[in-house]
Amino acid sequence: MLAATLLLGLACLPLGQWLAPQVILYLYALFALRLAALYWPALAPNRWLLLPLTLAGLINVVAAYATVTGREAGGALLATMLALKLLEVRGKRDVRLLAILFGFFLASLFLFDQSPLLLAYVSILLIGNLALMVDLTARTGPRPLTAAAGHATRLVLLAMPLAIVFFLFFPRLEAPLWSFGRDDQTGITGLSDELEPGSITQLVLSGELAFRVWFDGPAPAPERLYWRGPVLWHMDGRRWTGEPIPRFDAAPQPLALAEDQVSYRVVLEPNNQRWLLALDKPVLIPDGATWTADFQVLASRRVTTTERYQMTSAMQYDTGQLDPAMAAAAAQLPPNVTARMRALVDHWRRDATSDRDLVERGLAYFRDEEFHYTLEPPPLGPNPTDEFLFETRRGFCEHYASAFAVLMRLAGIPARVVLGYHGGEQNPMGGYHIIWQSDAHAWTEVWLAGEGWQRIDPTAAIAAHRIERGSLVDGLGATRPIRFAQQDLDRLAWLAHRMRLAGDALRAGWQDWVLDYSTARQLALLSLIGLGFMSHYGLAVVMVLAAAVALALTVALVARTRRDPLEVLYDRFCGRLARIGLTRQPNEGPVAFYERISARRPDLGPLVEPFLSLYIRIRYGHGATIDDRRELARRLKRLNIRKGRSGGRDGRGAAVKQARSRH
Amino acid sequence: MPGSVTQRERKDLTTAGRLSAVLQGFLRQVPTDRDGAARIRGRHIYVMPTRTGLLFALVLFVTLAGSLNYQNNLGLLLTFVLGSVALVSLHLAWFNLLGLEVRASGGDGVFAGDDAYFTLTLRDPGHRPRADLVVGAAAGSVHPIALARGAQETLGLAMATAERGRLVLGPVTLETRFPLGLFRAWSVVRSHATTLVYPRPTATAPPPLVIQVGAQAQAQGDRGEGADDFIGPRLYRPGDSPRRLDWKALARERGLVIKQFGGARTEEVWLDWEQVTGRDSEARLSLLCRQVIDASEARTRFGLRLPGCIIPVAAGETQRQRCLETLATFDQDPR
Repeated sequence: MLAATLLLGLACLPLGQWLAPQVILYLYALFALRLAALYWPALAPNRWLLLPLTLAGLINVVAAYATVTGREAGGALLATMLALKLLEVRGKRDVRLLAILFGFFLASLFLFDQSPLLLAYVSILLIGNLALMVDLTARTGPRPLTAAAGHATRLVLLAMPLAIVFFLFFPRLEAPLWSFGRDDQTGITGLSDELEPGSITQLVLSGELAFRVWFDGPAPAPERLYWRGPVLWHMDGRRWTGEPIPRFDAAPQPLALAEDQVSYRVVLEPNNQRWLLALDKPVLIPDGATWTADFQVLASRRVTTTERYQMTSAMQYDTGQLDPAMAAAAAQLPPNVTARMRALVDHWRRDATSDRDLVERGLAYFRDEEFHYTLEPPPLGPNPTDEFLFETRRGFCEHYASAFAVLMRLAGIPARVVLGYHGGEQNPMGGYHIIWQSDAHAWTEVWLAGEGWQRIDPTAAIAAHRIERGSLVDGLGATRPIRFAQQDLDRLAWLAHRMRLAGDALRAGWQDWVLDYSTARQLALLSLIGLGFMSHYGLAVVMVLAAAVALALTVALVARTRRDPLEVLYDRFCGRLARIGLTRQPNEGPVAFYERISARRPDLGPLVEPFLSLYIRIRYGHGATIDDRRELARRLKRLNIRKGRSGGRDGRGAAVKQARSRH
Repeated sequence: MPGSVTQRERKDLTTAGRLSAVLQGFLRQVPTDRDGAARIRGRHIYVMPTRTGLLFALVLFVTLAGSLNYQNNLGLLLTFVLGSVALVSLHLAWFNLLGLEVRASGGDGVFAGDDAYFTLTLRDPGHRPRADLVVGAAAGSVHPIALARGAQETLGLAMATAERGRLVLGPVTLETRFPLGLFRAWSVVRSHATTLVYPRPTATAPPPLVIQVGAQAQAQGDRGEGADDFIGPRLYRPGDSPRRLDWKALARERGLVIKQFGGARTEEVWLDWEQVTGRDSEARLSLLCRQVIDASEARTRFGLRLPGCIIPVAAGETQRQRCLETLATFDQDPR
């Protein structure tokens, strides 16, 4: 009972980080009541008290989540009901039921988190649960708890090969059969399809993993890695959005120039959006994905589980002619353009010899004027663009990209804002690049005659000495984006950084081989053993066969009986006597055997006596120690049985006579 | 044998119990080897899931469906581990019985209505430690026991009796739910162990036919009542001294019985089928049984005369045993 309470209490511990505090509080109040009732049985609630307790639990869950389905609410309900069942336990049968439901509860924990740490924790709880079940069944041996834990561990170890076979070959579903509504995805960070001051800062500060990339060939320099996400066309004076311009749903016209192509595999963390991040500009996109004319690559549905895909991009490109619809969309101006903005652009336009020159002048403006790069910009009023350009002059990539695009549009150059990530840190331990959420970035694209859409990153134009290193940036630690150079890491930070990389390499492997093991992987494994042609049926066949083999091996392992070491010694003793013709009869006990030995070979009597007397004492007496057994082995070793050793010729003669008489 | 059958019926009153008894009859039973031990071999072991096991399977199925649906590989892994654990536990239950040696033997004879005792010895021939072995027979089941490797354990089984005769222990079920209680593995051991059940003695019996043994070394004397030697009980008659009441007999619910004492002398009696009268032969046997007990308690020399069977006059424990056995098996043993 105590064990069951402790198990459930421990299993609920990790829930604390995912469930509403009121649910957790109620759970542990129930556990406390249970434990108290163990010592003062009068406290155990009767049926009339349990009913309101159950209702209170239900109401508590509904009050916290307004539903009873879905991951959080379902988990909360299950935990609450198990805790209530714990209070209602009357006999072994209830505990058994609890132990069985506990397995389900453990599995449900993995809906919240799939880290190796939780797996280890759950494994320990699982063994504890099995030990509880063993204890409920077989409470016969001495020291029942140790024995039960031993049995449970042995069971799990014996079951491992079989479980692994099932895991490898059990056919998976490729899409869910049902869904209890939309699970809460608020915890997921990622790009959004709008940009307003502050939105990227939030992302940068989250410090989470965005995606990992494995390059097929040598990786391009980190400065060249611009990962494209949403493309924003419409500026309403404060916010950039993809709307209300209709998405350019058609596939883009082929690139007029696509050189310097790189191929890579991306493992994208769930972000609850449809964008598949691609290097600027994608050339080949994965099956099932669609792309838009402005080079956004979209998955068929929102990415709620880890998504993996292969892509090819051209690092040097020319998008060719400008589509008229796009030209119109890229000329849209916000309603709050001020006179000084216009004056600034007009000034550039006067001096510029070409559009390209004008772009350079715009960049030079950011570089030469007192523009500062900071994660902690001052708040901006109703016209952020104007205030930023002429007053505060402190901002983050979102401010620069937004302001630059507006200025370019004022100058008559088609411009749009692109959101994505910039850079990526190579993890030497895993051979891949990590892109953190802190690498989130915004930049501008302008269309120039003869060059097509070109990426312009106004943030990169800011002089290095005007990049501010506020406390926020320092807080980013190892995940700070490449825009903040990292040479100044001290030894401790460097070590921490390496550890982080190593940890991420482990996590990536875990993700790759365990969590994302899927039908595709299974089929790949099947073709590896030459059964690829059998497809899904092959999986089932292989699973059954492999499971049979694994089970047979396990059973063979169990069936192996270890012989009693005492018996082994005695058999050796008898074997040596058999060699000189004294074979023990099956019905002959050690005493009778000894008498026969002494009768047939009086000289051997005193020789075998020390062995046999000790053997008899250990075999039929009580409490044989290891020392006893060792001594017995020593005596067997010292035993020197030869044919007719004692009486010289006489002895030999006797042995010969014996041998003869046996024939 | 009638005795054991009635016991079984009394135990399995429910339909389910009766059904299982019928099914049990179809099962292969473990034969007893020549040395008196029944060795459980693979083909004698049956395994079925318990109710807990079925519930476990249901929960496992739900877990599997959920994990598959949510494409949760760790959930699947846990499901598979649990499933494999169940499969392994099935085999462990099987191995827990495999190779066990069972010896059954009957105890001393008892009077009908008393409990008969059987002894069961379980032994592991050095294969592996055993846990949670439950022995069940028509007589009921015994607490689970464990055996260390190579160890043996002796159990006593008590069985209520109703009729005289040879009481056969009947099939003994050896079952285990080790290790998780998800599966029940069992074997039915056929046992030939018997215990004799003597007829239930009546409270009193008429005094037997006394043979005056001529002029031999026996002292002659009248059969009048004295105070020296206990010569046997008789039913209470008004006027008897309460000091002569056999209180022990009263406690044993044999009614008011007076202890008769006689003078010091020896006599020989014949306990004769023809001399006692009863409703039927069982009643006669009960009366004779009482006479045998009384006579041996009175240290009288006695003989027994039954139709087709005469036990010559003798005295002592052996004689008593012999007569009781004869009474127990009268008209039953073809041998």
